[in-house]
Amino acid sequence: MGIDLSVNFNKIKLKNPILTASGTYGYNTEFDDFIDINKLGGIVTKAISLKPRLGNEGDRLFETECGLINRIGLENVGIEKFLEVKKPVLDENNIFYILNIAGNSFDEYFKLAHICEKENIKAIEINVSCPNVKSGCLEFGTDPKTLYKLVKGIRKRYKSFLIIKLTPNVSDIESLALAVQKGGADAISAINTVKGLGVKLDYINNKFTKSFVQGGLSGKCIKPVALSMVKRIKEAVTIPVIGIGGISNYKDVLEFMCVGADAVQIGTENFTNPNVTEIILKDLENFMRENNFETLEDLKRSLRL
Amino acid sequence: MKKLHEGKIINIEKECKDTYKLSFKSDLRDIEAGQFLSILCPPKTLRRPFGVYDFNDGVITILFRLRGDGTNYLKNLKIGDTINFNAPLGHGFIQKDKKALIVGAGIGAAPLIYLNKQLKEKGIETRLISGFKEEDEVIKGSDYNKIGGTIVDEVEKYIDEFKPEVIYCCAPYIVLKLVSEIGLKRNIEVQVAMEKIMACGIGVCRGCIIQIKKKDKIENRSICGDGPVFYGCEVAWE
Repeated sequence: MGIDLSVNFNKIKLKNPILTASGTYGYNTEFDDFIDINKLGGIVTKAISLKPRLGNEGDRLFETECGLINRIGLENVGIEKFLEVKKPVLDENNIFYILNIAGNSFDEYFKLAHICEKENIKAIEINVSCPNVKSGCLEFGTDPKTLYKLVKGIRKRYKSFLIIKLTPNVSDIESLALAVQKGGADAISAINTVKGLGVKLDYINNKFTKSFVQGGLSGKCIKPVALSMVKRIKEAVTIPVIGIGGISNYKDVLEFMCVGADAVQIGTENFTNPNVTEIILKDLENFMRENNFETLEDLKRSLRL
Repeated sequence: MKKLHEGKIINIEKECKDTYKLSFKSDLRDIEAGQFLSILCPPKTLRRPFGVYDFNDGVITILFRLRGDGTNYLKNLKIGDTINFNAPLGHGFIQKDKKALIVGAGIGAAPLIYLNKQLKEKGIETRLISGFKEEDEVIKGSDYNKIGGTIVDEVEKYIDEFKPEVIYCCAPYIVLKLVSEIGLKRNIEVQVAMEKIMACGIGVCRGCIIQIKKKDKIENRSICGDGPVFYGCEVAWE
């Protein structure tokens, strides 16, 4: 008998809980050489803003122990070009996608929400927490009142599946999760990257030379932070939670489900192993088959006993 | 098509100071000079990109200079070990049927030795000149090695004497920039192979961006996806 890995979020149904995280997977078919994207639950696109963005100048990457700091700065093609060039490819290939959107003001977020509604986009994830843009969306993700106002405004303009992606760079994640739920979102995804600093230091000719890469830390090293945040969020709200942060194998997926995640996103590991999502999916399915779990719901129930 | 491959190490030896030559067999059928492969170096998060030094009958040879954890992992590999690599990645040199001056510096000479071989096989006349800081850092295989100083100083002399119609270059950023400027001044096409720290290696993450000039507009290009080879005259040099 086939194993049912599906996740039912009411407004949308995922064929399995494995998604790709925004910014690590491009816009549509970039990983076609490595995996069959239609096997996944879906992809979350690179963040799209109202206008195209060139992103940050200077060094954008810094590798750490078991992780990576990035300061890409939301380089993206903009919503207009996304609709014109990227979306048709997604549609033609029948790829289930969640459009990640990022704004600099209420107005920008609301315009984007309106466009997504008009274009009949099935699911969107709101980036309220990019640590890499000055005067940017981080403000929206750190203050519960502002966040509530933002979510409510987006909800009014967008009727389909609405996910808010939270930042871990706060002290009181519960009140932010509650603001999201009260604002009417359908789900929370967490976490975005952890604020970090890479220091490049050299000592040449009796003098230090230094440079800093200030950005968002991702990869295996942030998994414990993510697990803690997902657990706290799940204990605070009743809406579904999508876990993100340092997942590199199916056991990590089990850990996230154990603390309350209903689905997961795989991010940085896509860079290390571009076929990792398919491997995780296969291993998860094998684990369930070998241990007689017929549905993902059974597995989750058992994990949360 | 880009693909993950398994490589079986058949040789590893020291080439010169801090520089090693690694050969491995795989099912990769084709890779052009200037294209690269990215090798998984556990436990590092990021794969390490390398140009090809030689490719013959399924055997790939790369040269690498010790820089840190990734290259230390490679140095400790033994004959018979396997590595996981992604290839072929990026776009290589556009090989023109033109007399070619090839300019390398440091470890940048490695992929040029493969380019030189490919061009010669096509019957194209070439000169490969390379610059190294010290005598013991010389990578063998160039027509001329300059020790100390900068190889840039030799480029105009070779333009005058050898009269190349195209220049291919792989070297540190400043050398690429200066050679591109010479090319512009002397009206000779320059192709440069660029490098930056990379995450995905396939143009997705936008981590290794350079800017190029398109008419009067500045546009981003990823080194791993759109490059690593660019026309020198297009790059918006810093």
